Amino acid sequence: MATADPIPVTTSPPEPPGGNLLVLLAPMPASQVEPLLARLAVSFSSGSLLVAASDAPAADSYPGLHLLAIPASQQTMTLTAADFASAHQLAEKHRSRAILMLGPEAGSLSSAALQCLANAVLTTPADLALPCYHLPPNAGLVNSAILYPLTRALFAVHPRFPLAIDLGLSLRMAERLARAAQRFSLSNPGEALVWPVNEAAVAGFSIAEFDVGPRVLPQPIDPDINSVLAYVTGSLFADIDLKAAFWQRARRLTLARNAGRPSLPVDGAADIASMLETFHLGYTNLREIWSLVMPPNSLLGLKRLSSVEPASFHMPEDLWARIVYDFVLAYRLRTINRGHLLGALIPLYLAWVAGHINITASGTDPEQHVEAVATAFEAEKPYLVSRWRWPDRFNP
Amino acid sequence: MAYPLSAMLKLAALQAAAQSAYTDNNSIWRHMSDALHQSVDRVLALLIAILPGILAFFVALIVFTLIGIVVSALARRILTVAKFDDRIARNRGSADWTPSTSPTALFARVSFWVFVFLGLIIGVSAFDTSYAAGTTLPISLLPYLTHIVGAILLLIAGTLIARFLARSVLIGAVNAQLQYAKFLSLGVKWLVLVLTAAMVLEHLELGGSIVDLAFGILFGGIVLTLALAVGLGSRDLVSRSLESHVERSGERNPPPPNASAASHSESIRHF
Repeated sequence: MATADPIPVTTSPPEPPGGNLLVLLAPMPASQVEPLLARLAVSFSSGSLLVAASDAPAADSYPGLHLLAIPASQQTMTLTAADFASAHQLAEKHRSRAILMLGPEAGSLSSAALQCLANAVLTTPADLALPCYHLPPNAGLVNSAILYPLTRALFAVHPRFPLAIDLGLSLRMAERLARAAQRFSLSNPGEALVWPVNEAAVAGFSIAEFDVGPRVLPQPIDPDINSVLAYVTGSLFADIDLKAAFWQRARRLTLARNAGRPSLPVDGAADIASMLETFHLGYTNLREIWSLVMPPNSLLGLKRLSSVEPASFHMPEDLWARIVYDFVLAYRLRTINRGHLLGALIPLYLAWVAGHINITASGTDPEQHVEAVATAFEAEKPYLVSRWRWPDRFNP
Repeated sequence: MAYPLSAMLKLAALQAAAQSAYTDNNSIWRHMSDALHQSVDRVLALLIAILPGILAFFVALIVFTLIGIVVSALARRILTVAKFDDRIARNRGSADWTPSTSPTALFARVSFWVFVFLGLIIGVSAFDTSYAAGTTLPISLLPYLTHIVGAILLLIAGTLIARFLARSVLIGAVNAQLQYAKFLSLGVKWLVLVLTAAMVLEHLELGGSIVDLAFGILFGGIVLTLALAVGLGSRDLVSRSLESHVERSGERNPPPPNASAASHSESIRHF
């Protein structure tokens, strides 16, 4: 099996790519589509770019682009199984060599970023090109707390945004993702998530990550953290369960991640009181449920944490890693109803967020803290593997 | 001369009394014997009446268990030949199934237990039908056999639903920051349990109108308590919800030029 590939972080804009590139735009309002098309027309050589969009304007509006109207799909905050299936179908139909998938609000990406992603899959051997966004310190917290550390520790790949909404795909990567998307063809492909980084890691495909600068990330239609966290983490836990045979083998990252990119300044201290209140309420009321999922050691850690003052509140990285691993395992074993399980994770996640905000407010670079969390996940991976293999015997 | 005559008369009286006592004893024994015979006959008649039912129950159970074994073995063989496990593993992208929980083993086991359960249902209904044919026999407990099975199933389902709903409410209430989450969860749990108990008693035909009355009082009491608790305790929640609704509807209108910047909580973005 292949190990993780080194991830080149390029900053200089590459040459405009030639060849057959299919650009697939996620459903977005016309006010976002038109500036994006104008940027694509400027960024790429004319005559080789096929742009598929659900609300494509008239073909003669952008003479350098071949516009293709596709049926409107369900508007979501990220790419879904249906998007990957239709991307591969279109690429095969139009004999494209590579695909550039752009999510909602992609107009906030620079021309250089668009060229980087497209160039990586057209002119380099990379199969999956991922962006690394510059987000404000208190943004993308689910990614920082769970998605990135888990993906990095288990699959030995370190793209900072495993659920990025802008992707460059080689044709074989698109085929792989379309095959993965078929699993959901009978359920709900318009909402099911496919994890490109995990698929690429299992297939041994090469992954490239590019610093693309700031980007406006679309927010979920339903702003309720309870439902969205369960939706995203549940999908990742299920994918981890599916790929257990792969990640249980020992793997190491070939290169340490470059965490030196400048963080955006913190715009005032966020209010953590309500998050801590949820955590304390959870500790008072959900201990019975947590004790079904977590071993006494982790419960003891939470007991200590419950008596910490808000000003110095911080969830230890190793404790957080073990908690997440315990929930992954409970998801696999169906210790309790999966909906209940993911609901019971929310107060713990909010406790992590409160600690992260405290650390950020104290002047520590947020990226440094996220890297420390990811390192703790890597260090605690044997704990997950042991409990995964012998869940009844190993319960420290 | 007078003495022997009186003595003879006494002797005759004693003999007559002894004869009468002997006749009475014979009659009691005969009555007792008749009663015992009748009881034995009744028990035997009852056994004869319910024996076909019991026999039908066991026959149905055994026959369906045997069918289950055959179907399970057939399914296992067919799925193994068709490489069902490999296909599933390929579609799922993982070969994580252990031999004891492989899709084939799972399918075979499920098919076996479906037939056993089917046999149990058919056996119980056969027994019920057989007993109904001999209802002239005055045994009051036997009809409960079938009702007890139903009542146990009701009880299990009710308990499971109560636990599921209690957990759902508890987690939802904690995440909504309701201070009385535990109380609310307990209330919902007992509502369902009381409802289940009433249904079980109704199914067993025990208690009659007392159950209805007690259930009405208990259920109404719990609902009233919960309504008061939620109504009094969640004033803040309702006002917050209304405020956020007003804010959301305000966002649809153009904001005033001097609108303040995002609040602290808005600076946190989970996604």
